Amino acid sequence: MTFEPLGRSLSDFTVELDVYSGPYEWLLALILKDELEIFEVPLRELVESYLLARHPDAANALERDTDFAGSAAALILLKSRTLSPAIDADTEGIEDEPLSPEELAERLTEYLKVRRAAEHLKDRLAQNVGHYVSAHTIAPRQGSLGIEPDRVSLAARQAFSRLIEPPVRHLGPITVTLQELAGIILTAIAGGAISYESLTSDMDRLNRAVAFAAALSLAQDGSLTLTQAEPLGPLTLEPAR
Amino acid sequence: MSGQERVPRPAHLVEAVLLVSASPIGASDLRSATGLSEQDLVGALTDLRERYDPEASGIVLREVAGGYLLSTNPSCSPAIERFRQEARPAPLSGAAHEVLACALYLGPLTRGAVSRVRGVNSDAVIRSLIERNLLVEVGADHDAPGSPALLGVTDEFLAATGASSRKDFPPVDSLVTQEELARVRERLASSVTTPPDAGSESS
Repeated sequence: MTFEPLGRSLSDFTVELDVYSGPYEWLLALILKDELEIFEVPLRELVESYLLARHPDAANALERDTDFAGSAAALILLKSRTLSPAIDADTEGIEDEPLSPEELAERLTEYLKVRRAAEHLKDRLAQNVGHYVSAHTIAPRQGSLGIEPDRVSLAARQAFSRLIEPPVRHLGPITVTLQELAGIILTAIAGGAISYESLTSDMDRLNRAVAFAAALSLAQDGSLTLTQAEPLGPLTLEPAR
Repeated sequence: MSGQERVPRPAHLVEAVLLVSASPIGASDLRSATGLSEQDLVGALTDLRERYDPEASGIVLREVAGGYLLSTNPSCSPAIERFRQEARPAPLSGAAHEVLACALYLGPLTRGAVSRVRGVNSDAVIRSLIERNLLVEVGADHDAPGSPALLGVTDEFLAATGASSRKDFPPVDSLVTQEELARVRERLASSVTTPPDAGSESS
């Protein structure tokens, strides 16, 4: 999941949510850095906050609306991906058997009970909030430090659990290897310096990335020199001096 | 000054032990720590309940998670939060309440079972609840492939809800009225019997 860089049009937009209070841009940053769980962020409240803070007559109203719509859409996508059941590679593409009306009724009834139980728990938690216990921590006695198998198991699961591989289907097939691109680069610079832009002008995004990796590799080997006159300026590949 | 040591009253002993504990202490542990008989312990706890009545004290005696716990009176919490310079923990989301309800009423159950009941992936919510010590892995479902962990609620959850045990919660069936259930079945029946987009079929 990536976000396109936001403009600064939303820099003055602040939000007040139960889970976060502050600038909207920081909220996005916290979500992207996994400091805040996306499922905890009520997107409807977020949109309502924006609509309340919106100034349709402002000079940059269109830019603000566009930036907000773009970022909010990304948040919806991110949240829906977080909530969607993980796709099992073995069963992907296989449709589940449709539930019978009786099974569906059973499932809905069970969920309704869970919903009502959740509402009950919410009230109970709210009624019991604000109880603070002693800050005194009893030091563990020597010789009584036990290893709890459940906690060790939990720690091991967390340490060794592997995150789901991100989908890469959108990247398309790799049509050229790093070695082949290194050869293309060396041939191109044989006649003199060439810009990275012109070298990769007819390549797709993936090949451009691989070409960049190849150029870095060649530069490390001393086969060529990479120069960039200013930060974020054009990159030039020259034969090694 | 007399050389004789004053013998503490039972209530004083229990009060002192409870004061230094951040988690509920069961009756047997209290008896073991104080050396009191069961009868003396009951009497001491009765005294303490009166002394720590929420209307009369900044400290209250709670019977939670199968034990006894001294904690501050919620009416004093703003002062404590200012003193500790910390905000009250953010309230739980609706999704978190649902997961806790699953674990409380249907548990112990696996992550997959929670997700099946709710109809959406609940892994992230479960992880967050485990970090907050409200959920814990209590075992494994050895009949299922891979023996997935079984989740249950913790003593911290019981304390946070003011419950002495799981039996303190009302039966889940009592939380839903028959009218609500009937409405669900009625809506379902009408959606099943009504053909989708009737009349829009092209020949």
